[in-house]
Amino acid sequence: MTTTTGRADAAELALAPVQAGDPPALPATQRRTPPRRRLGQVLVYVALTVFAVVFTYPFIWLVSASFKPRSEVFDNLLIPKTFTIENYLNIWQEAPIGVWLVNSVIVTALAAICVTASSALVAWGFAYFRFRGRGLLFALVIGSMMLPGAVTMIPTFLIWNGLGATGTLTPLWAQNLFGSAFYIFLLRQFFLALPRELFEAAKIDGAGNWRIFTRVALPLCKPALAVTLLFEIQAAWTDLLRPLIYLRDSATFTIPRGLKSLLDQFGFGGEWHWEVIVTASVITTVPMIILFFIGQKQFVDGIATTGSKG
Amino acid sequence: MKLSAARWPAVAVLATLTLASCATGTGAAGDDANYDPDAALSGDLTVLGFGAGDEIATTRMDEAQKALGDDVDVKLVEGDLDIQQLLSSIAAGDPPELIYANRDQIGSLAARGAILSLDKCIDGEGIDTGQYVKAAVDQVTFDGSVYGIPEFNVVQLTMANTSLLDAAGLTIADVNGSNWDAVTAASTALVKNDGGALSTIGVDTKMPEFFPLWAKANGVDLISDDGKTANLNDPKAVEAVEFAVGVYDDQGGFAPVKAFRDSADFFGAGNQYATNQLGSMWMEQWYVNVLNDVSPDATISFDTFRTPQGEPLAFASGSAWAIPAGSANAAAACRFAKAMTATDSWIAAANARVKLREADGKPFTGLLTANQDADDAVRELVTPSGDAQWDSAVEATYLANDNTFSLPANPADAEFKNAWQDAVNRVLNGQASAQGSLDQAQEEAQKALDAAWAKFDKD
Amino acid sequence: MSASSIAPVRPGRLRARRRETLSALLFISPWLVGFLIFTLWPVIYSGYLSLTDYDVINNPNFVGLDNYTAMFEDPKIALSLTNTLIFTILSVPLHIIVALALALLLLRAARATGFFRTVFFLPKMTPAVAVGVLFLLIFNGQDGLINRVLGFFGISGPYWTTDPAWVKPGLVLISLWTIGSSIVILLAALKNVPTELYESARIDGANFWQQTMRITVPMISSTIFFLAIINTIYGFQIFTEAYTAFFGSGNTTYSNDAALFYVIYLFQQGFQYLHMGYASAMAWLLFVVILIFTVVQFAISRRTVYYEGEAR
Repeated sequence: MTTTTGRADAAELALAPVQAGDPPALPATQRRTPPRRRLGQVLVYVALTVFAVVFTYPFIWLVSASFKPRSEVFDNLLIPKTFTIENYLNIWQEAPIGVWLVNSVIVTALAAICVTASSALVAWGFAYFRFRGRGLLFALVIGSMMLPGAVTMIPTFLIWNGLGATGTLTPLWAQNLFGSAFYIFLLRQFFLALPRELFEAAKIDGAGNWRIFTRVALPLCKPALAVTLLFEIQAAWTDLLRPLIYLRDSATFTIPRGLKSLLDQFGFGGEWHWEVIVTASVITTVPMIILFFIGQKQFVDGIATTGSKG
Repeated sequence: MKLSAARWPAVAVLATLTLASCATGTGAAGDDANYDPDAALSGDLTVLGFGAGDEIATTRMDEAQKALGDDVDVKLVEGDLDIQQLLSSIAAGDPPELIYANRDQIGSLAARGAILSLDKCIDGEGIDTGQYVKAAVDQVTFDGSVYGIPEFNVVQLTMANTSLLDAAGLTIADVNGSNWDAVTAASTALVKNDGGALSTIGVDTKMPEFFPLWAKANGVDLISDDGKTANLNDPKAVEAVEFAVGVYDDQGGFAPVKAFRDSADFFGAGNQYATNQLGSMWMEQWYVNVLNDVSPDATISFDTFRTPQGEPLAFASGSAWAIPAGSANAAAACRFAKAMTATDSWIAAANARVKLREADGKPFTGLLTANQDADDAVRELVTPSGDAQWDSAVEATYLANDNTFSLPANPADAEFKNAWQDAVNRVLNGQASAQGSLDQAQEEAQKALDAAWAKFDKD
Repeated sequence: MSASSIAPVRPGRLRARRRETLSALLFISPWLVGFLIFTLWPVIYSGYLSLTDYDVINNPNFVGLDNYTAMFEDPKIALSLTNTLIFTILSVPLHIIVALALALLLLRAARATGFFRTVFFLPKMTPAVAVGVLFLLIFNGQDGLINRVLGFFGISGPYWTTDPAWVKPGLVLISLWTIGSSIVILLAALKNVPTELYESARIDGANFWQQTMRITVPMISSTIFFLAIINTIYGFQIFTEAYTAFFGSGNTTYSNDAALFYVIYLFQQGFQYLHMGYASAMAWLLFVVILIFTVVQFAISRRTVYYEGEAR
């Protein structure tokens, strides 16, 4: 039905700052929003706000509890009766948070960037090309997610040990050089959703495989790439298991690992020292929230500025 | 494509076979270290599972460093011992030199050869195992050898809200376990239930964690002395569960009690005693310090846990130092453990704490070290608080410490523990009767024990 | 899929196809290398371990299929597998529907999208251990937030953390709390739907529901499919939150048969009881189960999923 150019126009439209579902631009005389539309919009905001409260309440509780002295952590007041930053000071003084922060940043940055780049490459390989064995190989990709990590943990440890990398930060991120099944699958789905005509057009214009990948496919999937980046940042930042088994020197600890050693000092895994647990959770989470918030702009900018395809 | 496709799995299989030999673990490693108290030591000492958080730890660590000399570099990998962490390092043949584990983990590690028998270490360095609390040593003795150096002892005390007791016309004797009918009656008298929601728990029998204590009080050991036969569905054990869970049921069930208990401010000024939310319960002795800190004015009565014969009893638990097989510096590890648990080290640590408490204007309430000699010496340092209530707590603590028992080490300790904990939880959650649940646990536990012992005897 | 050549092929096409294969392999090479080193060997090795009696400390001891036969006699295998199945079947559809609903709402939020998107992703950024702890807090039978809110409506909430009948629903609910990642993914997919489709539909008089079911869902079906597969795979492997809440920290566990999920039991067998061989066998059983579910989902997808980029 639509020609190649029709699709391209559609793509541009989809990527323009107009949200999908918004009414098309009306001439000035008709631009006043009908009351029904406005009501709908209000309802949307109400619903979102209700859900937002549900989603954020536990976290607000966490933050507020971290500013309370131990005796008030459970008093269920959102605004602390006694506001204190003692918990944060204690942790800051007791622990080399600065060092842990640096380690976390290094590991997370490397992990996220590597996995996004490598997964995009691999996903493109699976989405764009047709070749024998593609189905089988992709099945292996998915299959690799189906075996619980608990049983491959020790063999993987042995590999890194054999490579002499235990005790360093390398095992915490280096596997991401080879892509990750989850993101490969995710990006492949996004690549497959792109209309083939775009690539044909680029080919006709003389673009080679690499060009098509970098100038056509990638820009159109920026949201998906941003998602990959963000998810891996979250995963790498909060990972506790890998630092636990690979790291011994507290100077190499990442934040989750460092906080665990702090908590365990209180006995029973710090189980009942809620004020420390809560503060530790907030410290772990806040940097990511800030990053995510900043990253929001990238989302919008990215989408808005990639109207063209090369 | 086809040929090369077949080649890759072949390569992988070959790699497996070669690399499989990498995962040898440390089980075959023997103990060839030389233990001599006068020898000069050097090298690294990586310790897994210990954190030097407070003055009790740091003071003793200073003593240990002195004993080791300047050439030994002690590295603490802070944080509780994590089994994944330990197993990974063992699988790679690179275990830490020393570990700090829970005493009830020692049995299965010993049975599998993950840790060394400390007989050579004890002989060589001249450690006097007689100085340790007997129940503690029993817990770390497996197949006739000692596998751990005990550190710290934890016992249980009865802690009751005096004002609530008085109001109900009861005394501590009614709630310390010396008369089970009295406990049930007391619980009913003390509980306050406003239309479905608990506002005061009557008596908390602390199930499932204190099941071994209740069973022993009723005259039964959950496992035979040789650690081979489980005894979980002994009629007396069933009776103990029925009684202890019954106390919860009389108050509306375990669920409301636990829910109410979970929402309590355990460590704060609004704790269950200060706010009259609890009549009586049994609790580990370290909680006395917490209560004294945050609610010194609360009226609490203390006693040991009592058997139906009126005798004091406590279930001992705590930590122990153990040396992994394949440890690169067993000699230093041994001396470190010796120094950390030496009587003099404990006294020095206690003195450090006394100083800190004096500076805070608080009394020193003693320390249970698992070293009987040290316990006696440290007891001398206890300063009377001037308040009979808190002094009685210290009295009760030491009395309990003199009357401890423990479960012997066995090669399937995790399965055994999970079996009885799961069993009691099933009863608490109303999923099974005490008899049925314990029958299941007995079957599971005995099966695990048989398999583990068979494996041990074979090797 | 690619046509097999029965008819004689012109040499040019053969070379073109070979070049395409080579290019493809080049793109895929990072994964291939990683797979051979970090996936294939551990997987094969764990398969080997499943045929042994292995406690990590000593060498593995070949025992053939003993582990697998033992699994048939182990009542906890059936129990944990059932628990896991129930959880997955409950949570996956709910997860996708709620995430889609929220994503659709989010789409209409214009400028506030960024703010709300952060808000919904927030819980996902909370460490899983904290979520387990929060579960015990929020779902506390007497005092927890959930029951307080229910009480507001006159409903007396159950004891979520101890009542075997309510443990799984409680865990499903708290797993919903972390659907932020699905929302973000769906949002990205929704933004790729060409607006002209909605325009034409509106001109034809379609209402919101019709637009959603006839345009939105099919256009993002590839993403929904992804979420279904991923959440199923992860649902079967649920561990951290439930472990923290019921089996984990401290000396005592308030364990609950209703919360014994498969990977939790696997972890107990492998790392607590030191039956790593048995745990490996358990892992392979789970693998087969997940594989079956995934294959079925892929089969269904052939008829239901629409890929704009044609040949899959």
